Amino acid sequence: MSRNTLIKIASLILMVVSFIAYIAGASAFPIASENLLPWSVWFLIAVIVNIVLWTSVMRLLTFSLAVIWFYAFVAGLVPESSTAVNLTELDWSDPDAVAEQGALVFNGKGQCAACHTVDTTAPPGRCPDLTDIGINAATRVPGMDAKAYLIESMYQPANYLVPGYGKIMPEVWKAPIALSKLEIEAVIAYLQSQGGEIDPTPFDEPIDRADVATAAAALPPLLTGDPELGKKVFVDAACISCHAVKGIESPAAGEVNEEDFEVVTAPDLSEIAAFNDMRYLEESILVPGAQIVSGYGAVTVRAKGTTFQGTLVSQDEEKIVVRTKTADGVEEEHTILLSELDDEPIEELTDLEAKGYLTLTITPADADTPVTGQLVSETDEVVTLKVGDEARTLSKTDVKSLMTVVTFDGDEIVGEYVSGTMDDDEIILIVDGSEEMFDTFDLEEATMTRAFGKRLLVTSPMPENFPIILSVADLTNLLSFLSTLTGATAEAVPEDTGDAPAE
Amino acid sequence: MKITKKRLYLILGCVLVFYAVLTVAPAFAQDVTDAEYRTFPLIGSRTAAWIASQLHLLFGSFILGVPMFAVIIEFIGWKTKDERYDRMAQEFIKLCMGAFSTTALLGGVLVFILIWCYPKVMSKLSGIFGPTMIFYVFLFFGETFTLYLYSYGWDKMQGRHKGWHLFLGVLLNVFGTAIMFVSNAWLSYQTSPATQHGILSEMRKKSWMEERLAADPSLTPETVMEGVTDHTMIPLHNETTGEFMGTLWDAVNNFTWMPINIHRLVGNIAFGGSIVAAYAAFRFLVAKTKEDKAHYDWMGYTGNFIALCGLIPLPFLGYWLGREIYMFNNTMGINMMGSLFSWLFIIQAVMIGVLFIGANYYLWSGMGRIDGAEIYARYRPYMITVIVICVAIWMTPRTLSKISTASELSAMGGANHPHLGLFGLMTAKNTAVNIIILTTFLSFLFYRRSGKTPTASWGKVGNIAISSIFFFATVSIVVIGIVGFTVPTDLRVNTLTPYQVLIALAVMAVVTVVDIFMYRKATTSGTIKWGEMTDRSQYVLILIAITFTSLMGLMGYARSGLREAWHIFGVMQDTSVDAYTPLLSNAVNIVAIIMVVFFALVGFIFWLGLWGEKKKQASAATIEAAVTAEGDD
Repeated sequence: MSRNTLIKIASLILMVVSFIAYIAGASAFPIASENLLPWSVWFLIAVIVNIVLWTSVMRLLTFSLAVIWFYAFVAGLVPESSTAVNLTELDWSDPDAVAEQGALVFNGKGQCAACHTVDTTAPPGRCPDLTDIGINAATRVPGMDAKAYLIESMYQPANYLVPGYGKIMPEVWKAPIALSKLEIEAVIAYLQSQGGEIDPTPFDEPIDRADVATAAAALPPLLTGDPELGKKVFVDAACISCHAVKGIESPAAGEVNEEDFEVVTAPDLSEIAAFNDMRYLEESILVPGAQIVSGYGAVTVRAKGTTFQGTLVSQDEEKIVVRTKTADGVEEEHTILLSELDDEPIEELTDLEAKGYLTLTITPADADTPVTGQLVSETDEVVTLKVGDEARTLSKTDVKSLMTVVTFDGDEIVGEYVSGTMDDDEIILIVDGSEEMFDTFDLEEATMTRAFGKRLLVTSPMPENFPIILSVADLTNLLSFLSTLTGATAEAVPEDTGDAPAE
Repeated sequence: MKITKKRLYLILGCVLVFYAVLTVAPAFAQDVTDAEYRTFPLIGSRTAAWIASQLHLLFGSFILGVPMFAVIIEFIGWKTKDERYDRMAQEFIKLCMGAFSTTALLGGVLVFILIWCYPKVMSKLSGIFGPTMIFYVFLFFGETFTLYLYSYGWDKMQGRHKGWHLFLGVLLNVFGTAIMFVSNAWLSYQTSPATQHGILSEMRKKSWMEERLAADPSLTPETVMEGVTDHTMIPLHNETTGEFMGTLWDAVNNFTWMPINIHRLVGNIAFGGSIVAAYAAFRFLVAKTKEDKAHYDWMGYTGNFIALCGLIPLPFLGYWLGREIYMFNNTMGINMMGSLFSWLFIIQAVMIGVLFIGANYYLWSGMGRIDGAEIYARYRPYMITVIVICVAIWMTPRTLSKISTASELSAMGGANHPHLGLFGLMTAKNTAVNIIILTTFLSFLFYRRSGKTPTASWGKVGNIAISSIFFFATVSIVVIGIVGFTVPTDLRVNTLTPYQVLIALAVMAVVTVVDIFMYRKATTSGTIKWGEMTDRSQYVLILIAITFTSLMGLMGYARSGLREAWHIFGVMQDTSVDAYTPLLSNAVNIVAIIMVVFFALVGFIFWLGLWGEKKKQASAATIEAAVTAEGDD
C-alpha cells in the first residue's frame, strides 16, 4: 500500500470518527494526555484533506457528510431553552437553588417566557415585564402580599389583570401546560427572587385538582340554543351594526344608519369561538365592560388642556395611544404621555380605581404640601399611594380640601375649605391666607375639591342593555350562534412573532 | 490452530454479538405484563421511534412524490411521442421500486417499536382510529399491487395500452395519497386532537345522557335531552379520563389534518424531485461516456425543475399550516414562532435560503450549456444580490435578547436592532420570500428563453408587458410589506399577506402564459448541449437534496416537539422519562444521524439497481456476442 493511499484511508477514518464524536458530544480529541482542538475542527481538517485527495465517489461522500455536519453545527450554535424538568422535591434550605429550578420551569415547561420578559430593555411582550416582580407583586392588589399575589396569578390569572394587558394567560396548572405544585412553587420562588426575598413558607393550592377535573367533566353542555335563531338575533339586535362576521352583510364602519346611529368598528367575531370559551362570550354580552378587547376601548382624556375622545389603541406604563376621528371622518392617532394628562379635581374620594384614577395629589390635613403618587389601592377610609419607591397610606377624610364657590354675579372664588355646605347658611374658606365667610344665599354653586388626579377611564362602547332587551331564549340562541363562529370556513390570526413556518 | 483471516472475522463477529447481547439484555428483563412504557435498548424509546419514523417518512415521501411526476412525464412522452420522456419516467419508477420495500420495512419497524415501547399510547390511538387502520391496510395492498403492475407492465403496456398504463399510474397516486391522508390523521390528531366545538355526535349524546341519568335518578331521558341540539357545544374529551367522545370523523378532521395533507403532498413532489436530481448528479459524476453524461444531465435538470415547482408554493402552505396551529391553540402557536422553536425557524430560513440560492445557481450554470444564453448573464449579479438580501431578511431573528449581552442590548436600546430589527417582523419576511420566489421564477424564465428568439410580431410589446408586470408586482409586494408594519396583525395576516401571495402567483401564471405564446414558434439559435455541465453544478444538486432532507428532519422535530410533554396534546400526558422537548442542539444531532442512515440506505438501494442494470447489460452483451458468433459460423 502506498503512502498516499494510507493517508487517504487515515483521513477518511478521521472524518468518520470525528463526525461520530461530534454528534455524540464526545470531549475534545486527546493527544498526549491533553485535550487538543474540538472534534469539529478535526472534522473540517479531515473533510478538506479528503476533498483534495479523493476523487469521484469518496469526494461526493465527503461533501455529503460535510453538508449534514454543517447544518448540525449551525443549529447547535443558536440559543435554546429546555422543557426538561424533573422536580421531585425542592430543597428550601437553599432558596436560591429553588429559584434556579423555577427559572428552568419559567423558561421551559411553563412557557412563561413566551409572553413575559424579565428585562426592562426588551421590547414589550404580550404580558407584563416581570423585572422586580418580587417587590412589585406586593403593590398590585390592595391587601394582598407578594406571595399571595403570585400564587393567585399562577392559579387564577384572570382575577387581576395588569392595566393595559388582556386576559390571555392560561391557568398553568391545567392542561396543556399542567405544572405540578412543586413546579409552581419553584416558579414563585424565581419570581420572588426578582428584586424581592424568597418566602419558603409552604402554601395550599387555592384549587382542588381532583375536584376541578371532576366538576369540569360533569359540566352540562353550556348551550342548548339554536344557532340559526341566534343568527337572527345577531342581526335583529343590531350586533351586526358594529361587529363583522364573515358571511353576514353589515353596514360599513363610519356610516350612519337609518336610526342616525353611527356604526363604530368593533372586533370581528368571525372566529371568536376559536379563541375564547363560552364563559367569556357570555360575560361579554352580559357585562360588556368586564374585559375590553385591546384597541377597542372608548376613552376620554384631557392632556395639556386638550380633550381627546376616541378609541384606546394601546397603553403601557408610560404612555397611551388614542385614535380620534375628526368631523370629516379623518382618523388620527395621538400618543399621550401619562405624565402629560391634566390633573382633574376630585370631588369625592370614593371608588377611585373604578373611576380610572392613575395618580392622586392629596394634601393631608396636618401637612402644608401636597403628596403626589401613583394610586396603588384604596379602602373606604384610606388610600395608598406609591411615592417614589415608598408606599404612603393617607386618610380619605383628613385632607385639606379646596372649595370653588360661584356667585350669582359669575365670580369664581377658590379657597381652602373650612366649613359649611350649600345646605347651611354660610360657607367659610381661607382665601389668600385670610378666612372669608360666604352667605349661601348669594352663591349659585359650591364645588368641593378634595384632591386632584390624572385619570384614564376605558369603557366599552357596547351598550349594556342586552340583558334587558333580550330574552333568555334570545341570549342562549345568540350564544349558540357565536359558538359556531370558529372560523372553520375562515382562517386563524397568528401573532407577529417570526417567519413563515414551513415543513 | 492457524488463525486464518476467515477465523479471525468469525471470532470478532462472535465477540461483537456477545457484547451486543450483554448490552441489550437488561431491556428484555423489563416488566412485560401491563407496562405503560418500555425502554428501547441502548438509545431509548424516543430516539428509536424518532429515527424509525423519520426514516419511514423520508422513504414514504420519496415513493409518494416520484409516481406523481413520473405519470406526468410519461403522459408528456405519450403525447409528444418523445420516447426519452417515457424512458426517464420508467427510470424514476425503478428507483421507486427499490425504495418501496424499504419504506414498508421501516413502517413495520416503526409499528413494532411503538407497540413495544408505547403500548398505552398505541392502544389509545388504535381505539380511536381502529377502522382507519383497517382501511389503511386495504389501501396499502392497493398501492402495492398497482405499483407492481405499473412498473412491471411498463414495457408490455405500450402502444394502444398506454392509456390504461397511465390510468394505473393515476390509480397508484390515488392510493398513495389516500394512504398519506389516513396516516396524517393519526399524527395530526396527536398535535391538535379534534375540535373544541364539535357537532354533538350521537355517541356522545348517548353517553352524556347516561352520565346525567346515573347522577340523578329522578331525571328521565326526555328531561335530560330537552333542548339538546346537534349544535350543542360539548368538549370532545373527558377532562378527567381523557376519553374521546366524538366521532371518528371528528378525530380525523382536526385542525391541522388538511394543512399537513396538502403541505406534504406538495413537499413530496419537491423532495422526490430533489432526490431524483441527486441520483442523476451522482450518475453524471461517475459517468464514463458522453451519452450517459447527457442523459443524466437531462435527468438532473428535470428533477431539479420538479423540485423547484414543489418548492415555490411550500412556504405559502407552511404559512397555512402555521395559522391552523395558532387557530387550534394560541399558546402552541406562540411557542412555535415566538418561544421554544423560534430559533429553529431561523435555521429553517438558512436551509431554505440554501435551497433557493442552490436552485438559482443550478439554472444559471445550466444556461452555460446553451448557445445564446450569454445575453442574460448580465442580470445575474443583480439577481443574486436580491436573493441574498431577501434570504438575509428571512434569517433576521425576531429578537436578539437571548444572544446579546446587557451592554449590547443597552447600545441597541432593546432586544431589537434599531434599524435591522424591522426585518425580524413577519411583514418583512413575507415580502422577502415573495421576492425570492419571483426572482427564482425570473431565473427559470431566462433559462427557458435561452437560445431562442421569438417570432411573434408582438414580441417587443410582450417583453415590455412582462417587464412591467414584474416591476409593478415587485413594487406592489414591497409597498404592501411596508404598509404591513403599520396595520393591526389581523389585517396584515388575513388581507395583506394573502394579497402578496396572490400577486406572486398571478405574476407566475400570467407571465408563463404570455411567454408560452411568445415563444411558440421561436427560432432556435443554439441547442442545449446536454452533458456539458460543470461538476460544481452537480454538487449543488446533491446539496439541494441533503438540505431538503435535513429540512424535513428538522421540521419533523418541530411538529412533534410542539406537543411537548403530551402524547396527545392536552389529552394524554407523556409520563415517560422523555416527557420533554429535546434541545435543538440534541435534535439536530439525531437528525444528522438520520440523514446519514437515510443517504446510506438510498445509496445502497440505488447501487443495487445499478448492479442489476450492469448484470443485465453484461448478460445482454454475452447473448449478443453469442448470437453474433453463431451468425459468423
